[in-house]
Amino acid sequence: MSQGLSDTQIARLEQLLGATRTMTDPTSLANYEVDGARPAAAVRAADAGEVAEILRVAAAEKLAVIPCSGRSKLGIGGVPARYDVALDLSALNRVLSYDPGDLTLGVEPGVRIDDLQRELAQHGQFLPLEVAFSNRATVGGIIATNAYSPLRAHFGSARDFVLGMEFVTGLGEIAKSGGRVVKNVTGYDLHKLLIGSLGTLAAITRVNFRTFPMPAERRVFVASFAAADSALEFCSEIAKSPLEPRVLELLNPEAANISGISPRGEGEMRAWRVVISAAGSAALVERHARDLERLSREAHAARFETFGDAEAARSLQGVREFVRMALEHAADTTIMRVPVVPPLGGMVARRLAAIADARGLNAALMMGTAGLAQVALWPRAEKRAEASSAPTDDDAWNSAADRFAPALASAVNEILLAASSDGGPARGFVEWCPSAVKRHISLWGGAREDFALMQHVKHIFDPHGVLAPGRFCEGL
Amino acid sequence: MRGNCSKSFAAAALTRPRSEDYSDRGAHFGAHARHFMNPKLIRELQSLLGRDAVLFAREDLLMYDYDGSVEQARPDCVVFPSSTRDVSEIVKLAKRFEAPLVGRGAGTGLSGGALPRAGGIVVVFARMNRILEIDAGSFRAVVQPGVVNLDVTRAVEHLGLYFAPDPSSQKSCTVGGNVSENAGGPHTLAYGVTTNHVTGLEIVLPEDGRVVRVGGKTSETPGYDLTGLMVGSEGTLALVTEITLRLSRKPEAVKTLLAVFDAVDDATRSVVEITRRGITPAACEMLDGWTLRTVEDFVHAGFPRDCAAVLLLEVEGLAEGVEEQAGEISAVCRDCGAREVRLARDARERDLLWKGRKNAFGAIGRLAPSYYVLDGVIPRTRLPETLQRIESIGETYGFRIGNIFHAGDGNLHPLILFDPRHAGEFERVVTAAREIIQHCIAMGGALTGEHGVGMEKNELMPLMFTPEDLALMARVRDAFNPAGLLNPQKILPLGKGCGELRVLPQSVGSALPA
Repeated sequence: MSQGLSDTQIARLEQLLGATRTMTDPTSLANYEVDGARPAAAVRAADAGEVAEILRVAAAEKLAVIPCSGRSKLGIGGVPARYDVALDLSALNRVLSYDPGDLTLGVEPGVRIDDLQRELAQHGQFLPLEVAFSNRATVGGIIATNAYSPLRAHFGSARDFVLGMEFVTGLGEIAKSGGRVVKNVTGYDLHKLLIGSLGTLAAITRVNFRTFPMPAERRVFVASFAAADSALEFCSEIAKSPLEPRVLELLNPEAANISGISPRGEGEMRAWRVVISAAGSAALVERHARDLERLSREAHAARFETFGDAEAARSLQGVREFVRMALEHAADTTIMRVPVVPPLGGMVARRLAAIADARGLNAALMMGTAGLAQVALWPRAEKRAEASSAPTDDDAWNSAADRFAPALASAVNEILLAASSDGGPARGFVEWCPSAVKRHISLWGGAREDFALMQHVKHIFDPHGVLAPGRFCEGL
Repeated sequence: MRGNCSKSFAAAALTRPRSEDYSDRGAHFGAHARHFMNPKLIRELQSLLGRDAVLFAREDLLMYDYDGSVEQARPDCVVFPSSTRDVSEIVKLAKRFEAPLVGRGAGTGLSGGALPRAGGIVVVFARMNRILEIDAGSFRAVVQPGVVNLDVTRAVEHLGLYFAPDPSSQKSCTVGGNVSENAGGPHTLAYGVTTNHVTGLEIVLPEDGRVVRVGGKTSETPGYDLTGLMVGSEGTLALVTEITLRLSRKPEAVKTLLAVFDAVDDATRSVVEITRRGITPAACEMLDGWTLRTVEDFVHAGFPRDCAAVLLLEVEGLAEGVEEQAGEISAVCRDCGAREVRLARDARERDLLWKGRKNAFGAIGRLAPSYYVLDGVIPRTRLPETLQRIESIGETYGFRIGNIFHAGDGNLHPLILFDPRHAGEFERVVTAAREIIQHCIAMGGALTGEHGVGMEKNELMPLMFTPEDLALMARVRDAFNPAGLLNPQKILPLGKGCGELRVLPQSVGSALPA
């Protein structure tokens, strides 16, 4: 993808960082491929100042830069329009400030979420970011992709507990917004724009969070249902009740199987499942157990199971790692991210099987009450056989993708249609998709009326199109 | 729509000089503001909106030259749109006549956000006060900006729902104003401020009157979070004409506690300890003894008159959790030296305690010719030393400084009483206030927790932000508001006064800050 860098350009980067942190050998560069595109160089910055210098060089030389660190989610987004330099932020991995008494935290983007959670746990605290790829994912990537955490049901998404950020724009300016305290309305909340922006506005160099106290006890409940309607009814009754579940996810049978949510026996492979976690004091958890059991009975659950802490962790891991498990389950999986309000979520859940069946696809759905449906689509065995023998190289992939693409594209459209059946704009997008298929389908769900404003925002932060061009919303 | 990014827009954003001048293109308006009220503009506004929706007589404008702050600024004209289309046409007219334009809800703001610093047209949203949709199944309401905050809750409480942000002015302030200022309130400790409860907006762009929807009913939408950028932008990026709100479910149980202390330090230590132990009350308010006595004389809420401080705490949620949390909080307060922890026995007692808190500023207003309410934030661990520092600043400058504030999230509201008739006193207030704010920043805190920057603290922004931070914010503002006509001279420093807190003396305030 890169046109290659001139010797002078490489020399400029080496001058900034030294030869060991400026990598140009094919073996190293293979680690930074995005949709098959390989950069001409990968540079490992050590602090915000270096990030700024690199981006100033990139702006001057019109180089395309993709920031990364854990590289677990580089598959998300459009095929890069250009890609010259991978900006590796994994060495920015320090906790810059942590005030457990104030429940506030400031970290660099390369901090791995697992390491961070372990450190917070020593103080009885945590961040509500139970995200997929948790052994590789870093804070920067989690924020830049707005990675889904099932704890959203209770704690909201990153925009609700990120207090401020420092970042480097496409012009190489180090800037910040927000602050470090839990309440603050000083200046524009520019950092909110960076959440989920796939690195197209700025390279994040610091994120300030509020942290949360760990609960005394935690229990997981799994209710199984023979049909979508009764499972949906159960979820809706919980939403209307005064209960305060930490996690509330609805999984269709395929999703439950993929994520390993307690399939006990053949008959249950077709069950819809609702995974709930309750946390807090023993009395609070007990209250949830009692009320949830009653609500599940009223909604005609086939089964209601309770898991203590050890088993709970396994069930929750399936929910947390749903995306990774779906991708590992079939290499040609496409995963849509569809924000929904509950009534429309119900629409998606009910229509999904028919939409997928008609196109020879399998569909796994995991839907949180916080309002996000994640739909994994992959071809059925017979569809695959019909398309080609198992694709082994790029050409075979491309030809297979050619044949799947129309079915996939029309399934994506149908699902978006179901999610916007109140007349609103299409709300979802394709988050994960085989590179070959990306060239054939529209990832972002069509035009939005605020697109021109987004272009303006992009232009303010990155007027030269240095940062991750082509990766976000078709052209940002 | 796609691809029609205007060239002028982009150019405007990039040609900004990289100096420490962040003033908008409306910065020059102040000097010759009065010429905007071209009789032709008035006539066009009248024919657009009707004669009864346009005020321009001097005596009519008096109602709109103040807000809840100590600032004043006279508009040249006040208009009352009834629809989004009206707003869009007003914006187009303002653009054509190069008149500044400022949105206004109920005028309860505390940093001059709704004041026309450069004159021009004030757009009052009083007639756009309809609740357009209540979607209980999705926990959403769609409202016009002129809807009063508390009216949202009144309209949905029969469904067991409410709108969480609860500034003290909630009986009169509007949702549009809440969105502009990202308003808070006592219960934001547990539930977050306005931005956490807004998922979508309809906005009118100052550039050309274009109407655009950002966000929606869903909790996220693909693309950049423009809703998050707009909320709290203090009316400088766009006029908001429709708001999609997140509704919350009313808690099953509520308990309100009053912890009484003989030493301020014991009260602040209790807050530190409650926070440290991970107990999250729905509200945690502190009143110092002097403030308390003043309030008690006025409200008769039953506050003890002889103590040094009280904490007003509320816990909400499931009955089991509320019971336990109330017990833990009582224990912490007692451990930290509270002489008494009272529990409100019923809704009447609870309302009385909150009445005392929410009417406190009105009560204090009876005591001194004038007062100035500050708004700053510190990390909660720094509460004890910060209150000591405020007291010593008060002693240094010879002022009584009251403290009544959102202790649970470290959001201070020191209140300085003074008499503007005494020569030099006002200048000393400003100096003392600046020292307090500087202390907040030095502690790692923030300039404002909920009142906004507006025209009160724009010259203080360099205390918290670097020239590069401010230049980027200025570019964002200029991109959305290229001619600088929308709410000029707010938020960012004008580069004139160097680090000055801008406060004007005024007679007794009647404002009810959050």
